[in-house]
Amino acid sequence: MKVPNVTPVKFNQRLANSLEKFSEQGGEKIANYINAAGKFAIAPLMILYNPFTKESKENKEWAAVKQPVEAVVTIAAQILSLNLLYKGIDKLAEKGKLSFKLVQDAINGVEKIPDTILKANNGDIQKSIMAMHKNCIDIFKDRVGTILTIALYIPILAISNRVFPIIADLLTKDSKNE
Amino acid sequence: MSSILTPITQSKFFNNHLKRVISDDTFAAKTIVVCSVMKDVFAYSVRYKTTMENKKIPEKRRPFVAAMDLASGVVTSIAQIAVGFSIASPKVQNHLWKRIFGDAQFKNIGLAKKSFATILALIGSGLITERIIVPLIATPLATLMENKFFKNIPADTPQKAYHNYPFEQNSPFKQILNK
Repeated sequence: MKVPNVTPVKFNQRLANSLEKFSEQGGEKIANYINAAGKFAIAPLMILYNPFTKESKENKEWAAVKQPVEAVVTIAAQILSLNLLYKGIDKLAEKGKLSFKLVQDAINGVEKIPDTILKANNGDIQKSIMAMHKNCIDIFKDRVGTILTIALYIPILAISNRVFPIIADLLTKDSKNE
Repeated sequence: MSSILTPITQSKFFNNHLKRVISDDTFAAKTIVVCSVMKDVFAYSVRYKTTMENKKIPEKRRPFVAAMDLASGVVTSIAQIAVGFSIASPKVQNHLWKRIFGDAQFKNIGLAKKSFATILALIGSGLITERIIVPLIATPLATLMENKFFKNIPADTPQKAYHNYPFEQNSPFKQILNK
C-alpha cells in the first residue's frame, strides 16, 4: 500500500491560522476575552499564593472563588451585548447608513488605499475599497463597543454581586455535606 | 440614527483616526490598550465613590482607603500603558513576528500583524502587569501604608471593620486583588 506523502502542519502555521481566526473577533472582543481570562485563571492564583497577603486562608479562598464567577458573568454579558450592538451596526451599514469619508475619498481618488489592503486583495481596487469599508466598520464597532462596555460596568457588577452569593451558598452546602 | 452617526463618520477627527488605525499597527494596538485602561479608570473611579460612601468602613479611615483606591488605580493605569506601549513598539513587534511567524503563511498578513500586536500588548498590560506585577508590588505597599496610617486610631474604632466579611471588606490591598 502506498503511503500518501503528507507534510505535517508546523506549530507556528497552526498558531498563524488561529491568529487569523481570532483576528475576526475585533479588538474590543479580544480585549474582553483577555481580561476575562486573566480574571478567571490568574487572579485566583494571585489571591491564593501572593506571599505578601496576610489574610486568613478562608478569606483568600472565598475571594479567589469570586474571581472566576465575576469573569464568567462579565464576559457573557459583554459578548451578548456586543453581539447585539455589532448586529445593529451591520444592519445600518447594509442599509447604507454608515458611510465613512475615508472610503469616499478613496473612491474619488483623493485618498490612497493603504498598501496592506491592496496587497491582501491582489491589487484589485474594487475589492480593496470594500475591504477598507469593512475595516472602517470594524474600527467603528470597536470604539462604540468600548463605550458600551464602560456603560455596562455597573449593571454587570450588580448582576455578578447577585450571582456570587448563590454560587457561594452552593459551594458552602457542598463542603458542609462532605 | 444616521443624523447622529453622519457627523461622526464624516468628521475629520474620526477619519484621521481610522486612517492611522488602518495603516499603523502600533497605533492600533496602543489604541486598544488605552481603551482597555479607560475601562479600568472608570472601574477605579466607581470604586473610589463607593468606598467614600461605604459606612462599613470607619469614617476616619474612609478618605485613606479611598485615596488608596485612587492611587492603586493611577499606578495600575500608568504601568499598563507603559508595558502595553512598549510591547506594541515596532522594534519589539518585528522581532517577535520574525521569531514566531517567520515562515508561516497568512491569508491577510496585514490584519494578522495588527491583531498580533494588539493581543501581545493586551497580554502584557492586562494580564501580566495588571494581574501579576501590580498586585505583587501593591500588596506589601498597601499593608505598609495601612499599618503606618492606622497605628493611632482610637481603641473604640472597630479595627477589623472590613476584615469580618470576605465579600464586604474594603481593605486597599483586597481592592487591588479583587479587581
